[in-house]
Amino acid sequence: MSNPSKVTKAEEFEPRIVAFLCKWCSSAGSDLAGVSRIQYSANATPITIPCSGSVSPMFILSAFNKGADGVLISGCHPGDCHYMEGNYLARRKLYLVKELLQFIGLESERFRMSWVSAAEGAKFAEVVDEFVEDLRVLGPQNRLKAKR
Amino acid sequence: MVNVEEIRDYAANLLGKGEVKSVLGFRRGSASAFAEPCTITDVGEAASLVWDPTCLNNLTLYLVKDHKQQAAAKTPDNRPVGIVAKGCDSRAIGVLLQENYFKREDVVVIGVSCEGTGVVDPRKLSAKLKGRTASRVSFYGADGINVRVYGEETETVIPAQEVLADRCLECRAAIPTLNDIVFGEAVGAREFDEPFHAAKAAESLSADERWATWEHHFDRCLRCFACRAVCPMCYCPECVVDSTTFVVTLGTSAEEKANRIRWCERSANTSESAVYHLTRAIHLAGRCIDCGECERVCPVNIPLRLLNTKLEKEAFEMFEYQAGHDIEQASLLSSFRDEDPNSFIR
Ligand code: SF4
Ligand code: SF4
Repeated sequence: MSNPSKVTKAEEFEPRIVAFLCKWCSSAGSDLAGVSRIQYSANATPITIPCSGSVSPMFILSAFNKGADGVLISGCHPGDCHYMEGNYLARRKLYLVKELLQFIGLESERFRMSWVSAAEGAKFAEVVDEFVEDLRVLGPQNRLKAKR
Repeated sequence: MVNVEEIRDYAANLLGKGEVKSVLGFRRGSASAFAEPCTITDVGEAASLVWDPTCLNNLTLYLVKDHKQQAAAKTPDNRPVGIVAKGCDSRAIGVLLQENYFKREDVVVIGVSCEGTGVVDPRKLSAKLKGRTASRVSFYGADGINVRVYGEETETVIPAQEVLADRCLECRAAIPTLNDIVFGEAVGAREFDEPFHAAKAAESLSADERWATWEHHFDRCLRCFACRAVCPMCYCPECVVDSTTFVVTLGTSAEEKANRIRWCERSANTSESAVYHLTRAIHLAGRCIDCGECERVCPVNIPLRLLNTKLEKEAFEMFEYQAGHDIEQASLLSSFRDEDPNSFIR
């Protein structure tokens, strides 16, 4: 398999996104985008998680460490959490992670969070497309990537 | 002025009555003018306790160690431990109580107010003395530190602002709020420096400049884990960055090795050290009480406080949260408010 982030020419660079999707909403939202045959970028690798509140900051750091160009976390809209308040806890925790990543100088566009419900297939496609476009401009993520 | 005799008497009394099994405090160090942490267990030893601006350590670390020891002991001694605590030390105890690490009745907090000064930074002091060694360092008053140099008769007064540890310059609560008794006057904020000013200055740089700085620091990290060892909040029995329970033996199969989650490698290189430091920083969000111990013990002078204070600044400004201030409060990451920032989410 070719390694997309090794390619230097901007137009050939395919950003790799690791997307942590809540099982109850965003994951179903991404399914809906698929079954509705909405065309969108295939750059995101979805990982289903029980709740956005279950995201450990280590997931994010590890993804960047292993070469992700961008990390997306997507959960249920405020008020709609299957576990009542998981997404509120996620919001606070991930705000701090975002601040910390920016503070050490990771480009702020590389870490993203969204609220996508199971009915929002089109929104999911939009969020991913937008993310890919922004990452294309930034180029490969080399700051936190392990140099192995 | 804190009268050290009063601290000694109080400690001796506690030990004499058998109310505590030991008292954690400071005694004169043998190597330099700097005080060293000590555990005293009998009344006679109380006379060796000292209190001056060289009492740098956060003794709360030894409460944690004692707790771990007792948990592993066949015949645990569950009597409380007395501890001489500055403002920051008492906040550290506060965080541990908030997390139910031990109970309030397990500790007797002998609070000492820093009274408008604080502790000196050994690096700043030695730069000031230009290679000479201090033989005695004491409080002069609210804005001065008395220093006597080896082989010299006279004492010099150095303005406190020039030699105090960075965190003391911006300390907002020099009185131990959690205490059983406090010695010294209740002088609160220091205000030599604006709180979080270093983090604010760093924020104003560009992302490239910030990364250049941190890449340089992460690159130099030795992964000696001194910063983790000295931090009273780093008490997890197993740390994600060095999985000690995964032991590779001759019998470990290739599959077991492959399936083990490796959050990061133990090797000291820029990216792995970055993961270590970011993990540690986020783990300490809302828990770091800014004792500055991690930065003090780092052999390569990595500005670790900066990472932690950045998150404490966010906690304070965004969530009105201060670590160790209120032991009844839910911790930063186990609570939320409706008005938490939401605009960054799409
Ligand atoms: S992270 Fe550093 S400053 Fe914060 S509590 Fe731990 S040792 Fe103290
Ligand atoms: S004390 Fe300094 S060198 Fe040692 S692990 Fe911590 S940051 Fe790295």
